[in-house]
Amino acid sequence: MKTAAKRRGKTPANFEEEYRSAFGEYTRSGGEAALGRAYELGRRAITEKKSFMEIAFMHHQAIYGMLAEAQGAAQHQELLKAAGDFLAEMLSPYEMAHRGVQDAIAALRHLNETLEEEIKRIAYAVHDEAGQLLVAVHLALADVARELPERHKEQMGRVEELLNQVEKQLRRYSHELRPTVLDDLGWIPAIRFLAEGVSKRANLPIHIKVAFAGRLPSTTEVALYRVVQEALTNAVKHAKAGNIWVRAWRDEFVLCCSIRDDGAGFDVRALQATGCRKGLGLIGMQERLSAIGGTVRIESHRGRGTELLIRLPLEDAYANSRGAR
Amino acid sequence: MAINSDQDIVAARQKGRALATELGFTTGDATLIATAISELARNIVSYARKGEISLKMVHGSSRQGILIIASDSGPGIRDIRQAMRDGFSTSGSLGLGLPGVRRLMDEFEISSEPSQGTIVRVKKWKQ
Repeated sequence: MKTAAKRRGKTPANFEEEYRSAFGEYTRSGGEAALGRAYELGRRAITEKKSFMEIAFMHHQAIYGMLAEAQGAAQHQELLKAAGDFLAEMLSPYEMAHRGVQDAIAALRHLNETLEEEIKRIAYAVHDEAGQLLVAVHLALADVARELPERHKEQMGRVEELLNQVEKQLRRYSHELRPTVLDDLGWIPAIRFLAEGVSKRANLPIHIKVAFAGRLPSTTEVALYRVVQEALTNAVKHAKAGNIWVRAWRDEFVLCCSIRDDGAGFDVRALQATGCRKGLGLIGMQERLSAIGGTVRIESHRGRGTELLIRLPLEDAYANSRGAR
Repeated sequence: MAINSDQDIVAARQKGRALATELGFTTGDATLIATAISELARNIVSYARKGEISLKMVHGSSRQGILIIASDSGPGIRDIRQAMRDGFSTSGSLGLGLPGVRRLMDEFEISSEPSQGTIVRVKKWKQ
């Protein structure tokens, strides 16, 4: 590994040059050493965040360059065969990474399902169990109040008032966790309800404009609600926004929903590049939406706010309009 | 096969690919086997500086496969579960390294003792 260590220690050669050099070596004389270089290049491409498409393009460029030099059909064929072998070798680290991503997505999907169940359970516990306990406290306090001398009754009244507030808050939290509105009236009223609470707590206006009517399948509505919820949380927690705008509309057969803020913004590419923890919220949103056939695009620039655009093809609407024709 | 230089890794890859081809693995699978060998060798060189890789043909009840054993007497791994988690090391966070090897192969075993060394045994069966 001495030479590799030396290679790594030095400023790495320009990727494209190294690619052409290794590719040239393989097409000229074949051999495992050149394939090993292809593998090393693939690995390096991943750590340098080179996209799959960049590689494919570079590979084609290299082939074009060599085809010009090769003479005759036999040489062309040999070159193309070698190019295929070399590319496969270079892509094998991508295969490894890709399997890792698939595993991560499956784990995330499972986590989402578990979370949704857990949220339901907590919402129930907060609403029903804590609610019942509070009722018991009310009753016990009423008993005590009866025994109390008149001058303490006012204080007791204040305690009762505070308890009422606790109860109201708890009910509110429970509904935001898993709003019954979501099941009963749909995602738009649920988001309005959520936005009202968030806006009050964070003391920042959330402007909602909806040009979309009708209900969607339950899993779709839950996914949309969760994504908007996450977006609102992010805008409040990280963006230090002054305003948030939520819009939902229909663009032919596509449902669009945008969540925009005028906060700090961030470097999208840098966040996605760091992978793990920080970008997880965004990956979680993408995962939720892809499970229902939707996509999310994020646009953000430092100092110029952030916009999240959700797009979801409405298959039923499409099918109906097709059928009506 | 001793592993402590680039040439050794190339030799191990070549033997692995030849054995895989001889056993009738597809070209794609032979490539993945060579990749697993490279990752294991890279692991040896990075953490133990030198070690060994051996390749064997194995017979299952109705199929044939290839067994790769990578061993070293380096510092060992204190917490294997942590080492096998994606994101523990830089390469792991990209899905490469030992977690990546596990995904390329059908069977994966690892044992390690701190300051004694590490042995990784992986198998891939012919489809």
